[in-house]
Amino acid sequence: MKLAIRERFLLGFASILLGFLFIALLKTQGVAVSRVALQEAAVPSLIQTEQENQQLSVENDKIQLELAKYAQGQSAAALANQQVQEAKMNAGLVALTGPGLRITLDDSKRVASGEEDPNSYFIHEQYIREILNALWNGGAEAIAVNGQRVTTHTEVFCGGSFIQINGTRQMPPYLIEAIGDSRNLSAALNFYGWDRLGNLQEQYGITRKLDILEMVMIPAGKLREFHYAEPVKEGT
Amino acid sequence: MHRWKRTLALPVTLVAIALGFLISLQAQTQKNVSAAEQISAERMTQMKSVLANSQAQNELLQKVHSKLLGELDEARKRVGTDPQLLAQLTKFQMLDGTLAVEGPGIIISIDDRGKKVLFPLTTDEISRMINTLKFAGAEAISLNGQRIVGTTAIVLSGSSTILVNQVPINRAEGVPYELSAIGNQDTLLDYFTKLEATNLQQNGLTVSIARKTVRIPSFKGAYTFKQAKPYTP
Repeated sequence: MKLAIRERFLLGFASILLGFLFIALLKTQGVAVSRVALQEAAVPSLIQTEQENQQLSVENDKIQLELAKYAQGQSAAALANQQVQEAKMNAGLVALTGPGLRITLDDSKRVASGEEDPNSYFIHEQYIREILNALWNGGAEAIAVNGQRVTTHTEVFCGGSFIQINGTRQMPPYLIEAIGDSRNLSAALNFYGWDRLGNLQEQYGITRKLDILEMVMIPAGKLREFHYAEPVKEGT
Repeated sequence: MHRWKRTLALPVTLVAIALGFLISLQAQTQKNVSAAEQISAERMTQMKSVLANSQAQNELLQKVHSKLLGELDEARKRVGTDPQLLAQLTKFQMLDGTLAVEGPGIIISIDDRGKKVLFPLTTDEISRMINTLKFAGAEAISLNGQRIVGTTAIVLSGSSTILVNQVPINRAEGVPYELSAIGNQDTLLDYFTKLEATNLQQNGLTVSIARKTVRIPSFKGAYTFKQAKPYTP
């Protein structure tokens, strides 16, 4: 079929227009999507400030209550004493008892053979950290590992053949004891990595045991001196 | 004048129909998109105003908080509370983290949004870094404004929201993670660089550490003891 120049021109023009419109269509679609993403990013910071606000107002209410007690002429010494006791308990300087659970972790009795990774046969400090994190998340009230109370300053650091906790050398077996609602605690454990330890138990023979106890005793932590940190002077 | 060939009539008609269809479709989507954009922009401004509102409230609450703390100090002095007892209280409250503290230390900024980053920072890595800081003798630590205390859990909520003390710490803008620690600057810097920073940098993350006088906010969560009782032998 032969076409005249004018016809060819017309057809070509129509095709270009078609292509152009098609691209424009695709582009508008893209814009709509990116807008949504931008909006999503603002959400976490909103939740964050809201949460902080809530925490702050609770805190403020607490102080106001205390001020009211002072105003009523309650015994200042008794009030301060009570607060000292509370802070001491919060800081983990008081031995506690209560219902809870005990987790036992131990290295495998077998040894790695051939090309197996010997690391799979040992308990690593990371497992202990993960368990502590899970227990706190499950609402644990106090935790100790091999009799070392876990406090704000407790490190669980791999020192090669041993694990350093509160500056002391700890060797397996590791006994992690926690006070809290045992159902919540076990649920949190199951959610965070408990099964993975179970797999290591089946495959490599490490020990992973959970006992629910009616009474656990968690020893007190040690007092720590501050050399660098100072309380912030309020009103500045 | 040219005479139109019959054979051409059909293709040209088809093209014309397609063209007409596309033009109308385009007009339609344009309308839809501008409507969607308008809604989106509206929601954005609404969101911003809610956020600004909440931030303003936050500022106000902070102010009230520090004023109340000042008043509390006054009240304690007025009724003549034993200064030794108060010193003890201060110390214990520094230990349990319910008191804001300041002192020499380091601020670590970590950016995991670069193109070379293989995996964004995980909660395990965050716990590890905090553990290293504790090992280096840090006296107080905070992550994105959340004080790290004994009971602090660092967990993932959903696919990308990180909760510390049950508060999301993700940031919409600026450096994603900021760790502050008070302690011996040399020790903190040395331990963190050798044990953590090098590794992170190898994975493509941007890590910068600065010596600073650091202010670390107080822990604003609650300690609860429902099951635990003091042990009396």
